[in-house]
Amino acid sequence: MVNRLRQSNIPFVYSFILYIAGLLLFLEWLYPVEQVTDTKFIGIFIMYTFFCFFISLLQVKWWLSFILKGFGILFVLNGIFSDYPIWNMRWLHELFTDLTYNIQTLIAREWFDLSNMFRTLLFLIIIWLMSYLIHYWFIQVKRVMIFSVLTFIYIALLDTFTVYHANWAIARTFVIAFLALGIANIVREIQRENMTTSSFRFRSLWILPLVMIVLFSTVVGYAAPKLEPQWNDPVEFIKSAKESFGNAGGYTVQKVGYGEDDSRLGGSFVQDYTQVFQAYVKKESYFRIESKDVYTGKGWVNSSSDKYIEQPEWNITFETFASTVETEPYEMSLKFDEGGKIPKLIYPYGATHVNLKNQEVGLWLNEESGEMKTEIDGKDVVVRDYSIRYNYPSYPIDRMRKSQAPTDTTLLERYTNLPNTVPERVYDLAEEITARYDNQYDKVRAVERYFSANGFVYQTSDVAVPSDEQDYVDQFLFETKVGYCDNFSSSMVVLLRSLDIPARWVKGFTSGEKLEDNIDGEGTDLYEITNANAHSWVEVYFEGVGWVPFEPTQGFRVPNDYDVSLNNQHDDALEAPEINQPERPEPPKETQDAFSPSKSEDGFNFDFTWIHGVIIVVLLLLLAGFLFWKRFELETIYLHRKIIKKQDAASYQDAYLFTLKLLKNKGFNKGPDQTLREFATKIDNWYGSDEMGQLTTTYEKLIYQNSNGKVGTEELSNLWKNLIKRILG
Amino acid sequence: MQETMVYNAKIEKVIENINKVMIGKEDVAVLSLVALLAEGHVLLEDVPGVGKTMLVRTLAKSLDCDFKRIQFTPDLLPSDVTGISIYNPKEMEFEFRGGPILGNIVLADEINRTSPKTQSALLEGMEEKSVTVDGKTIPLQRPFFVMATQNPIEYEGTYPLPEAQLDRFLLKLTMGYPSLREELEMLERTSKQHPIETISPVMTKEELVSIQEEVRNVYIESNVQQYIINLVRETRNYNAIFLGVSPRGSIALMKAAKAYAFIKGRDFVLPDDVKYLAPYVLTHRIILTSEAKYDGNTAKQIVETIVKQTFVPIRKEF
Repeated sequence: MVNRLRQSNIPFVYSFILYIAGLLLFLEWLYPVEQVTDTKFIGIFIMYTFFCFFISLLQVKWWLSFILKGFGILFVLNGIFSDYPIWNMRWLHELFTDLTYNIQTLIAREWFDLSNMFRTLLFLIIIWLMSYLIHYWFIQVKRVMIFSVLTFIYIALLDTFTVYHANWAIARTFVIAFLALGIANIVREIQRENMTTSSFRFRSLWILPLVMIVLFSTVVGYAAPKLEPQWNDPVEFIKSAKESFGNAGGYTVQKVGYGEDDSRLGGSFVQDYTQVFQAYVKKESYFRIESKDVYTGKGWVNSSSDKYIEQPEWNITFETFASTVETEPYEMSLKFDEGGKIPKLIYPYGATHVNLKNQEVGLWLNEESGEMKTEIDGKDVVVRDYSIRYNYPSYPIDRMRKSQAPTDTTLLERYTNLPNTVPERVYDLAEEITARYDNQYDKVRAVERYFSANGFVYQTSDVAVPSDEQDYVDQFLFETKVGYCDNFSSSMVVLLRSLDIPARWVKGFTSGEKLEDNIDGEGTDLYEITNANAHSWVEVYFEGVGWVPFEPTQGFRVPNDYDVSLNNQHDDALEAPEINQPERPEPPKETQDAFSPSKSEDGFNFDFTWIHGVIIVVLLLLLAGFLFWKRFELETIYLHRKIIKKQDAASYQDAYLFTLKLLKNKGFNKGPDQTLREFATKIDNWYGSDEMGQLTTTYEKLIYQNSNGKVGTEELSNLWKNLIKRILG
Repeated sequence: MQETMVYNAKIEKVIENINKVMIGKEDVAVLSLVALLAEGHVLLEDVPGVGKTMLVRTLAKSLDCDFKRIQFTPDLLPSDVTGISIYNPKEMEFEFRGGPILGNIVLADEINRTSPKTQSALLEGMEEKSVTVDGKTIPLQRPFFVMATQNPIEYEGTYPLPEAQLDRFLLKLTMGYPSLREELEMLERTSKQHPIETISPVMTKEELVSIQEEVRNVYIESNVQQYIINLVRETRNYNAIFLGVSPRGSIALMKAAKAYAFIKGRDFVLPDDVKYLAPYVLTHRIILTSEAKYDGNTAKQIVETIVKQTFVPIRKEF
């Protein structure tokens, strides 16, 4: 590169500064990654970035660069994921197995099942590509604008919609981007004017005002008062896919939040982002409040509403899973707002002990639902500040697969009970979904997954309320397919119960939105839980394991671990049963129902939701933007072909007029009174060539002379193409 | 094509000759040739002593043509221009003695000093290419080229040419003073021997006539014709212009453009030719409104504005 730079008169130091600016801007893309995703080892990625940028800077032969960067990737992957040294065959075998598995997964379009190593690999490849791209943008074509603008957009979006605080990032980006823009312009000017290095030395004074202006703007921008946000969150609907809600019964539009009465579900509601409490959590978990066991056909009620037993010393005797499940001990604390109205304990899975601070408060447990009241002298009280010790469970998938039907008949009867109003087709559907699975766990997973496709749409508005004759679940499954967590969770419970799998409906809150990362330096994160986080989900009973939470609602995920035995790849593969799908014969389609599970589970049925719409619109916009950006290049290709093919005057006229258009775009506008010759002289003087003059002489003959012949010789079209290249720079 | 190249070389030589004598006046020389080749005439308007006469003389001498000069005075009679029939007692009949108008290149010096009657005798000859004396029509020679001069600063005792007659001239030119360096060089050159003595004819009358024929064959595309018409029509609609350019003006511009293209070695007309010539062809063919004159506009400025506003054709319908 040094050589090339010397050739093009540009002092190395300017290109180097530009390149460093590119690197710094790219790092701004990497910094938030750790905070907004579950990516670890961001330092390693940053080091790899430095490495790639350094190799690109050296401008070594492409194959050497390829080998070096490729080896860098292997080195990083080995460092993160393997205990073996890099030259050990076992590690290479590990890598090969992982790649094979992931390629299968990719083909099956199971994006969520990609392994960490593979995702890391992809990420490293992106860094690699970016190092090349930024070298191209910043050093070769000196077009800094696009990347700068993208960086601003990226940071602004992250700041708006995630926990990432971009206060400093935006200031850094501002300074770097504007310095880079200024320098890029100066450097382009040097090239255009063909300045010699010696004359440029004198002009290095240009840098000074640039630096002054950028720094001045930064200081002013920093010190100036800023308006508060002037409008409500413009993409609330995007968020709504992430947020959850509860229900309060009724038929009209409701406000979301935790409520007691779930006997009549359905209807639309509006989101309410009022904070309910904040949680200081090391390991995120859903917050459970209670479960309900009786499905009425319209909603949920409890069969044992008033059997409460006191929890001595605030030690919680309620257990959702067996003691054999592997756990890790954690502690979290919850702080409620003044307006908090829930006189119940909100607790994570595996809660063992609560410290309610106020010694007078007694804790009363309903053993069936897990509801825990907080009372003083028999009166409900709202506790605003408490901490809970809990054993965070990792549910063993192996054992769940192997678990037999429950033996406890009381439990079985209670949690598989369905009213007669549930139509037969619900039973048929459950059979159909699970027909090919032989164990309870896979059946449950199949039902859970059933809702992520097959035309179901997560939506909080325009949600139907069942009429008197209608079953709530039946209406959702077969008629509307539009709804929110209550629809999804109730339906899953009903489908499971129809298969005699014990399941119950659980209420509480999702883990909320992360406000701050690692606030105490020991890995404790701060979460905000609002009314919009009120949620309902499903617990399924596995003999020997206990009640395991499942999440059928689109866009949600239970933050619990499922323990997959690592030495068994087969288990992982089973986690994504669709991968094996194509090998199985398709079950014949028997009914004319609105759904078609066999098809959808093969992954061919595409359910058009707003997310797809947004993706298509974004892709179209990107495509349109790209085409617009490359419009001149595309038109050049088109016209060049036309000249060569037709070799006639009309094509040549189009090509020539296109040149004028292009020049106009570059700021060389031909005045209406300017003749072509005058204009061509001006252009040739500017570019220091005679190409425009030659083309114009030919074109003049074409349009002013009595000619009819073919003019498009190859020489001419090459001349034209060269000129276009020169203009496009 | 071969012929054209020969002719072009000769034209080059004529210009070279003029350059030898007239320093820094190549544009005027070229424009005079334009008028000559387009079979038009030139009105040179300038103060005395800038070389008007020398230009014409040089031109005539380079072309091996019959050069005549008429010094217009108030008492000049039409017959002094056209010629007169005199009784020849020997032959017992009237015999026509041709006036200076029967030359090939006629310098009509200070044309505005003579009476309109005499002026129109010349102008009629220019237009009709013939003169009528005593009922007899006598054709003028070919080539026939009049270069009339007039002094713009003297009004006393002059008869300005009527506007309607001005457009008999294809071009109206001015010489202007030479620059410092040009004038120095002029002194240098003329100090021993006047350079006009050194030049010799480079083109015959016959060759000149053939070139005039060739010029008529120069091609003009319809889009360039349209450009000429757009320019001319604009003068008719322009606010500051009382009387615009006549259709004769359009033809004149086209002829001049053809001649200019030929001089430049082309067999087709470019908009550049038209644009370059428009001020010389159109300026004396328009009459400004009194308001425009009062505002200090000159015809030249107005024509330049019109040229600036008129779109140059850059495409052709195929």
